[in-house]
Amino acid sequence: MFFKLDSFTLVGINAIRVSVEVHLSRGLPEFIIVGLPGKAVNESRQRVRSAVINSGFDFPVKKIIVNLSPADIKKDGSFYDLPIALAILAASGQIKCDISGGSCFVGELSLDGKINPVKGLISMAEEAQKLDKKFFLVPYEIASQASFISGMDIVACKHLSEAVEAFTCRESIGKFICRDKIENISNRSNHYDFDFSDVKGQLKAKRAMEIAVSGRHNIMLIGPPGSGKTMLARRAVTIMPDLNLEECIEVTKVYSLYEKYVNRLIHERPFRNPHHTISRAGLIGGGINPRPGEISLAHKGLLFLDEFSQFPKNFIEDLRQPLENKEVIITRSHLSYSFPCNFMLIMATNPCYCGYFGDESRKCTCSQREIQKFWKKMSGPVMDRIDMRVNVARLPERSFINTETSENSNKIKKRIEKCLRIQNDRFKGKNISYNSEVGIKIINEWLKNDKKIRDLIYTISGKYNLTARGTVSILKVSRTIADLEESGIIGENHIIEAINYRVGYGCNPGNNF
Amino acid sequence: MIMKIGNKEKILYLLVDKKIKPTKFMDIYRQNRGNMNKTFEHFLKYENLKLNLEEGKRNNDNTEISMHKGDRYEYFKIIDFVFKNKVDLLCIGDDGYPDILKQVYSPPLLLFFKGNKIKEMEFGIAIVGSRKCTAYGREAAGYISGNLSEMGITVVSGLAVGIDSYAHKAALEGKGGTIGVLGCGIDIVYPPENKLLYDEIALNGSIITEFFPKTPPLKSNFPVRNRIISGLCRGVIVIEAGEKSGAVITCEMALKQDREVFAVPGNIFSPASRGCHKLIKSGAKLVERIDDILEEFSQYQENLRLCSNYDHKDHMKPHARQDTGIQGNEARIYEFIGYRAKSVEEIVKYSKMEVKEVLGILASLEIKQLIREDSFNKYSRLF
Repeated sequence: MFFKLDSFTLVGINAIRVSVEVHLSRGLPEFIIVGLPGKAVNESRQRVRSAVINSGFDFPVKKIIVNLSPADIKKDGSFYDLPIALAILAASGQIKCDISGGSCFVGELSLDGKINPVKGLISMAEEAQKLDKKFFLVPYEIASQASFISGMDIVACKHLSEAVEAFTCRESIGKFICRDKIENISNRSNHYDFDFSDVKGQLKAKRAMEIAVSGRHNIMLIGPPGSGKTMLARRAVTIMPDLNLEECIEVTKVYSLYEKYVNRLIHERPFRNPHHTISRAGLIGGGINPRPGEISLAHKGLLFLDEFSQFPKNFIEDLRQPLENKEVIITRSHLSYSFPCNFMLIMATNPCYCGYFGDESRKCTCSQREIQKFWKKMSGPVMDRIDMRVNVARLPERSFINTETSENSNKIKKRIEKCLRIQNDRFKGKNISYNSEVGIKIINEWLKNDKKIRDLIYTISGKYNLTARGTVSILKVSRTIADLEESGIIGENHIIEAINYRVGYGCNPGNNF
Repeated sequence: MIMKIGNKEKILYLLVDKKIKPTKFMDIYRQNRGNMNKTFEHFLKYENLKLNLEEGKRNNDNTEISMHKGDRYEYFKIIDFVFKNKVDLLCIGDDGYPDILKQVYSPPLLLFFKGNKIKEMEFGIAIVGSRKCTAYGREAAGYISGNLSEMGITVVSGLAVGIDSYAHKAALEGKGGTIGVLGCGIDIVYPPENKLLYDEIALNGSIITEFFPKTPPLKSNFPVRNRIISGLCRGVIVIEAGEKSGAVITCEMALKQDREVFAVPGNIFSPASRGCHKLIKSGAKLVERIDDILEEFSQYQENLRLCSNYDHKDHMKPHARQDTGIQGNEARIYEFIGYRAKSVEEIVKYSKMEVKEVLGILASLEIKQLIREDSFNKYSRLF
């Protein structure tokens, strides 16, 4: 009496197939799971027994051996409750399988037989699609998460008895199939409660945000408390272009690993705002069974590090490699896990310990040495990867009740979308997609025929004492400014505007003396 | 090593010994009309002074001193330090001790110094000011100090951060040179971020202090030091000082010493200039141009002969930049930006142009050095 079903386990962000094999034999009643089960898998014996009995079936009084193959990969989590239960029922002859070959199963059982959500469903669905499965039995509550994977039917069941019904009778399966995918994905509209037009004044910072999002430049906002740094950063997601289906799936994959109840496809740009007391594993990802960190949760969206200076220095160093590679690889002795982390970084910081350096109305009480110490904490290599640094000044009280309306997010978004399209065309066939990623070789090509521009750059770098990286940053930003104006070449006016976002009063207060 | 025992060593011993107060010494010194031998004779005769200055035992390698106890130990430690670290001593009776410093009530009897400017100084002016200065103060310090030094006037200041260091930096380039007066031992660089400046002044100007080596920069040392700063100079110029600032104390000291006090006015809204304005209100001379300073010293034409062929009118930066050569929108925005800082928002509102254009114009005006970012996103005119 043997039966076999397909299920999945997660390795990092990807799923791999696991066969759940059940063999019933004569002997003393026993229930054993083999194949490197973790704690949660071993405990599933108790859940399965109760769920089977409470759903009106008999739990076989036999020696039951469950094997999870491949047997040399550690398995943890509650994915296997449902497949084990179904396999035991089928092996004991109580039910007869009608869909076995082309189907796969995942779900956690409650003692009364209810099917509870699990993590990483969408990754498993993707893997199931690759394996040419026809049906994927999943928990009802989160079924719509996976329903956008095309080419197979997602069967959503609330209870073990429903799962048995679908399992035994192919005809009745239709009523369980999740039909969310019929809704047109392009119909969804991103609605945010906030808008860029909420920000009064701050014209320079708003313009800088637009440029930063357009060219995916990392940006640092420097300003005294209450100047609106957080407000600006929060609104940056509203001007980012909508995610396409592929990106939505990628984002949902990461989020479904992070929490169980992701009951839909995530289509907003993620905005992550971790507090500075976060642990290293929380930021980068990690743990014994590695989980995605905040940088992965910000995949395709924004990572906002408020009070950047308060983050421990080594965490900031940890960001270097993910910023370059757009993915983070976490290696454990048995396996390497990779999580995507293609995010845009926004950082905000006060200009000094007391926070009021450069403020007009309140005097900074820090000494020069304190300010230098404050800025010394910012690691040079990370600062180098930040193309734009913008001061955000406090507004005089009267401007809050300013009734002037400024541009709303949608208008800005349209411009940015156009700018991104230009960049996509330019970098077609190369493995970069944004202006911020180009190297010095491509930049030199842009400037090859323009002596006037080169002279201007020499003047600027002399005047502001710029490093090579600083000059490159200015050029990358000016390329984005030119793209926003749909200009084919970088003009003098573009470069001059870009200077504003690199050098300035608060751009590096430590060096201001 | 056999050391010649001269006046310096004797005075050092007196200071270490502490039995005779410096003011007492100065009284006797003045009574004897500056004759050192007679002064010491007086002390040996009437004040029961014993000068135990002969060599103690030394190790074979001539470096270590042993077998000295108490004050004598301290004395030899300092002699040794001076010998090893290329620090020079200058005592009150020596040639090269500035005459002007002798006139103050309690001049330092002994100076530790590095660099020979102190001996060559002909005419000094002190520039003092806040450690937390604004960009305006920075520029004013550089402008005044640079021009004074160019004319052959030595700029004296306290080697602190802020106004002091800008004054030193600018003065180093001219022929007048600069003298830094420390409030700690000569081997201590305080504040440490001025290390480079310290080295450069030690080479091309002079670093002086009356404190013994290894004295930490105690709070109480600075008023004592300030009396030397003002004592070395004919006048004191204050550039940016808060209401209760060390610079204001230096000025009080300067008035007691019969020195001229000048103050550079600032923005009436700026807290950094409160002290200066207070000084002006109570009679300090307002400084706008170098001429304002020179006028007061017409009686010292003799000392200032060095600068007779120096046409400082050419250096009147603020008045030479009338013709800026900018046009159109740039000129319009430049005209709008006054001497009080205007924010980007105000400029955009006034000009009715787009932000990006305004930012471009602001950056290009900044490159042309016509405007400056005063505080976050606020610009004001330089000239």
